[in-house]
Amino acid sequence: MSRREGSLEDPQADSSVSPLLHLEAKIQQTHSLARLLTKYAEQLLQEYVQHQGDPFGLPGFSPPRPPVAGLSAPAPGHAGLPVPERLRLDAAALAVLPPLLDVVRRRQAELNPRAARLLRRLEDSARQARALGAAVEAVLGALGAETGGPRPEPAAAAAAIAAAATGGVFPAKVLGLRVCSLYLEWVSRTEADLGQLAPGGPA
Amino acid sequence: MMDIFLCLKQPSRMVDSKRMRMTSNFQWILLTFLLLYLMNQVSSQKKRTPHDLKCVTNNLQVWDCSWRAPSGAGRGAAYEVCIENGLHSCYRLEKNTKIPALSPGDHEVTINFGSSISKFTLNEKDVSFIPDTPEILNLSADFSTSTLHLKWNDKGSVFPRHSNVIWEIKILRKKNMEIVKIMTHNTTLNGKDTVHHWSWTSDMPLECATHYVGIRCYIDDPKFSGHKEWSNWSLLKNISWSSDSQTKVFPQDKVILVGSDITVCCVTQEKVLLALIGSTNCPLIHLDGENVAIKIHNISASESSGTNVVFSVEDNMFGTVIFAGYPPDIPQKLNCETYDLKEIVCTWNPGRPTSLVGPRNTSYTLCESFSGKCVRYKRAEVPTNESYQLFFQMLSNQEIYNFTLNARNPLGQSESTLLVNVTEKVHPHTPTSVKVKDINSTAVTLSWHLPGSFAKIKLLCQIEINKTNSVHELRNITMKGVENSSYLIAVDKLNPYTIYIFRIRCSTKPFWKWSKWSNEKQYLTTEAIPSKGPDTWREWSSDGKNLIIYWKPLSINEANGKILSYNVSCSSDEETQSLSEILDPQHKAEIQLDKNDYIISVVAKNSVGSSPPSKIASMEIPNDDLKIEQAVGMGNGILLTWNYDPNMTCDYVIKWCNSSRSEPCLMDWKKVPSNSTETVIESDQFRPGVRYNFFLYGCRNQGYQLLRSIIGYVEELAPTVAPNFTVEDTSADSILVRWEDIPVEELRGFLRGYLFYFEKGERDTSKMRGLESGRSDIKVKNITDISQKTLRIVDLQGKTSYHLVLRAYTDGGMGPEKSMFVVTKENSVGLIIAILIPVAVAVIVGVVTSILCYRKREWIKETFYPDIPNPENCKALQFQKSVCEGSSALKTLEMNPCTPNNVEVLETRSMVPKTEDTEIISPVAERPEDSSDVEPENHVVVSYCPPVIEEEIANPGADEAGGASQVIYIDIQSMYQPQAKPEEEPENDLVGGAGYKPQMHLPVTSTVEDLAAEDDLDKTAGYRPQANVNTWNLVSPDSPRSTDSNSEIVSFGSPCSTNSRQFLIPPKDEESPKSSGGGWSFTNFFQNKPND
Repeated sequence: MSRREGSLEDPQADSSVSPLLHLEAKIQQTHSLARLLTKYAEQLLQEYVQHQGDPFGLPGFSPPRPPVAGLSAPAPGHAGLPVPERLRLDAAALAVLPPLLDVVRRRQAELNPRAARLLRRLEDSARQARALGAAVEAVLGALGAETGGPRPEPAAAAAAIAAAATGGVFPAKVLGLRVCSLYLEWVSRTEADLGQLAPGGPA
Repeated sequence: MMDIFLCLKQPSRMVDSKRMRMTSNFQWILLTFLLLYLMNQVSSQKKRTPHDLKCVTNNLQVWDCSWRAPSGAGRGAAYEVCIENGLHSCYRLEKNTKIPALSPGDHEVTINFGSSISKFTLNEKDVSFIPDTPEILNLSADFSTSTLHLKWNDKGSVFPRHSNVIWEIKILRKKNMEIVKIMTHNTTLNGKDTVHHWSWTSDMPLECATHYVGIRCYIDDPKFSGHKEWSNWSLLKNISWSSDSQTKVFPQDKVILVGSDITVCCVTQEKVLLALIGSTNCPLIHLDGENVAIKIHNISASESSGTNVVFSVEDNMFGTVIFAGYPPDIPQKLNCETYDLKEIVCTWNPGRPTSLVGPRNTSYTLCESFSGKCVRYKRAEVPTNESYQLFFQMLSNQEIYNFTLNARNPLGQSESTLLVNVTEKVHPHTPTSVKVKDINSTAVTLSWHLPGSFAKIKLLCQIEINKTNSVHELRNITMKGVENSSYLIAVDKLNPYTIYIFRIRCSTKPFWKWSKWSNEKQYLTTEAIPSKGPDTWREWSSDGKNLIIYWKPLSINEANGKILSYNVSCSSDEETQSLSEILDPQHKAEIQLDKNDYIISVVAKNSVGSSPPSKIASMEIPNDDLKIEQAVGMGNGILLTWNYDPNMTCDYVIKWCNSSRSEPCLMDWKKVPSNSTETVIESDQFRPGVRYNFFLYGCRNQGYQLLRSIIGYVEELAPTVAPNFTVEDTSADSILVRWEDIPVEELRGFLRGYLFYFEKGERDTSKMRGLESGRSDIKVKNITDISQKTLRIVDLQGKTSYHLVLRAYTDGGMGPEKSMFVVTKENSVGLIIAILIPVAVAVIVGVVTSILCYRKREWIKETFYPDIPNPENCKALQFQKSVCEGSSALKTLEMNPCTPNNVEVLETRSMVPKTEDTEIISPVAERPEDSSDVEPENHVVVSYCPPVIEEEIANPGADEAGGASQVIYIDIQSMYQPQAKPEEEPENDLVGGAGYKPQMHLPVTSTVEDLAAEDDLDKTAGYRPQANVNTWNLVSPDSPRSTDSNSEIVSFGSPCSTNSRQFLIPPKDEESPKSSGGGWSFTNFFQNKPND
């Protein structure tokens, strides 16, 4: 496996350690990464809402949840699926999220060019989502599950959302909020799914 | 008619006034009817002919005249109309006719209809001018700007001349056609058909509701004198937005000016529940269908991401964003200059922030009008109010540039212009690559690099030369600019062997701005020979055989390099002696010389060469008239003055040293020109409170002569120690004190005197506090004679402790104090007198008293010491002789069978026993076994031996008759009332015995007291008599005593004596072991001290 951004250390490097321990370590590391990114995603969402102006920041404000091309929220029956299947869905969503976050960042760069922290968080989030997706795929590979399968084309999803985001500023804000929310949902979902596999977890 | 009127009128004159009013009203009614009748007749006549001719025009060229047809005329009847307008024109027409416009003035019009002829007078004033109804050619809408565009034709070709036209346009909104606006638009008819355009921007987005537009006109022809009227309204045209079923909010992402009003609407099929602007709820304005709008008044500047406007429907939310900001401010502080004459950089401040960012941010374009070139500022987010800048490439052969900076954003634009001759606006870059090279020890070359095409202009550069411990020097240099950007100059007038720090900055001529300073370049110039010889002095050694040569190191400016060594030589008339080379940093040399005159020469050498020699004569000219003077300095130096002496041909020399240091005395020296008469000696080595010796030498050709010797301080301080003093001698009224000098090091100034304090006081009690506070009990002596070393203090008191304090002072202050306690000796004469006088007085008093007593002895005896009968002669009593001799055995006063003649008890006693001072227990009442059981510590033992019995001879005759005697007990209750029980509780005293009991109960006789009562008393738990009479000692030799040694009962008093009166209180005799002091006897008056 070629080393990619965010990929974990090659477990074959130390042959003296049992493969099971390697797998545990990999799951543990990925789970820690997901937990960290969940916290970052919460901060991103908070920061995003702060910069959109009222009534976005008001309590009780529930903007519409427009559909995002190529990405949907975790299904209610997600938890009932087998863990590898769940992880496959997680990895697929995490693969779609980076270009969407990039689109959101570009639009926010026009709306809030001086919100350097928000822009940096969006940029980091795209990179971190990519890294977590790769790590989940690595776990799937280590588990012996298939990592492939039908998944939406990230570029096409990004083009679709970019077109949607150019419609108007308000829809773009709402769409950006939706993308950030989806990012949080999928990262926290991934954390929960990995928690099933992690040592000490329910699995 | 007039006749009728008159006929009707005449009768009315004959009625009275009241009747006349009624008749008058009646006449008016009749008159009215008559008129109506006549008018009807006339009208009937008219109706039989064409009538009511009216003419209108819509183009001022043709009048359209019409009249009412006569009654009976059918449709299609033909009329002949003839108009007399100079040319008799007749037209055969039907009902209406169009005639050419007639010239101003009256014209006769004849209308023939059959046999009837109607004549009219027609004038232009009677013609109405009503333009044709205008027609809207086109109505279009720009939804993005909410603007309606209207197009129509004025049909001006039909009008014969130019006229002003007022167009009135009305805007209606919604399906119920609410009039929104009616506006006018003025044009001019120019004889041709002209299409007019008119635009109107709606305050509400056009998408929100259908808008209708209508138009009419009014032609104001000044030459037409008839009635001018508005045309009819045109047909309404409307604009509506064909919406799909999706809900939309308008306008989208609108940029508006801060403070303006805006209407936002939501076009929807759903019911809108709520509208928010930011966080503020807004009232809804209902439009057609479910469409709603809100109106925002005086909107404030938006934040970066705009102001959100949100409409909420049942389960969804729609919104738009409004960006409220300002148009760009005029660019401020526009400045264009060049660094290198290759590129012009223009900077400016944006001015007031626009509150618009991103795509709505202000864009800037800089255009140069002569060349027509423009550069555009690439949008980059910069902090507010930070300077913007644009670069413009200079054009060859163009020096003057006319710049226009245009600022534009969605709300407007502004611009600023600047005409600049760029050759006068050169702000050079910072010089770089500064290098220094030697030319010689006082000059270097300086080179640097200054980028730019300055070949056609002159540069003005500034060189800053910094030398250690010196003010920096600036040198301006003008040079011609070069193409290769390298510059080189020579810098001279430098000091050899000196570290310089160079830096450079440049500008151009004419001056505009300095460049920044270049980096500093440090350089050490090369050495040169020392410029002068060292400053020298000489001292003869203490034995006078050797001459010690001193010299000071040369300053950096004088040394011109590093001094490596010194050459010292001495020369006389006969020879020249050169010493070996003395390496730096040694700065003295010793030469053994005789007393001949020698000239000592000292030369300093560095790597380049030797300095000129410094010469000094060895000879010292004696001076017999030399006094030591004192001087005090000014803190950091000391001023020395002397008289001008023409004999002194060379410099004066002042040398000085610390007076407490050992020889040779030389700390430093200073040379002063021979024409000077004063100098200030300053040195970093001077310290306050240190004594220095200063020696002023005058210089003659032969040598130096000591002129003055001065001791001084640069600053005086207070002494650090107190003078050490001792008491030399002490008498009864004086003390002699001696003290020692304070060492010079500790004196720290010239001694000005001593202060001596003394007061009465002993060690640890007198602290001599506040010596300067003016206490009156402290005596102070100020001793200003510093040679005085002793002091006698007189007028003191003998055998008294004195506290002595001594302290020294200088002009610098008071020194510490030293104290001592001294006791003066006793005054023996006074003591003797003090003893002898009282003794003599006592003797005299004694003698006089003795004489008086002797002479009055009978009277005294009678008065104070009458004869007392011997109780032993009384047979009634037999006392044991040992009773009063201190035996602790039981003593019993036994009553001998003595029959008293008479017992008189003087005490008046009530039935309730009162408190008594004494209690004498009757031997009969007292039971010995009870007494033995009593613990000694529980009973106060009172020894009672009345030494003196005061007798009262009540009946001397009876006494002398013997046989019968009277014992008189004096109740001392009147004298001793303490501890008495209240009289209200007498029974309790007797029975309960809880209270106080008399110390002695004196039963007069055993028969008088009830024995049972005695028992009761013993049984009481309360107070017991303090004295157990069983233990009393009758210590008085005069007391009667019992003769029965076995008896433990002690008798008191002598009941068998003759009349006796006695205080029955036991004596308070501390020496008596059994006495607790509770008793008292008359002898105390004589035996005890008065205080007791």
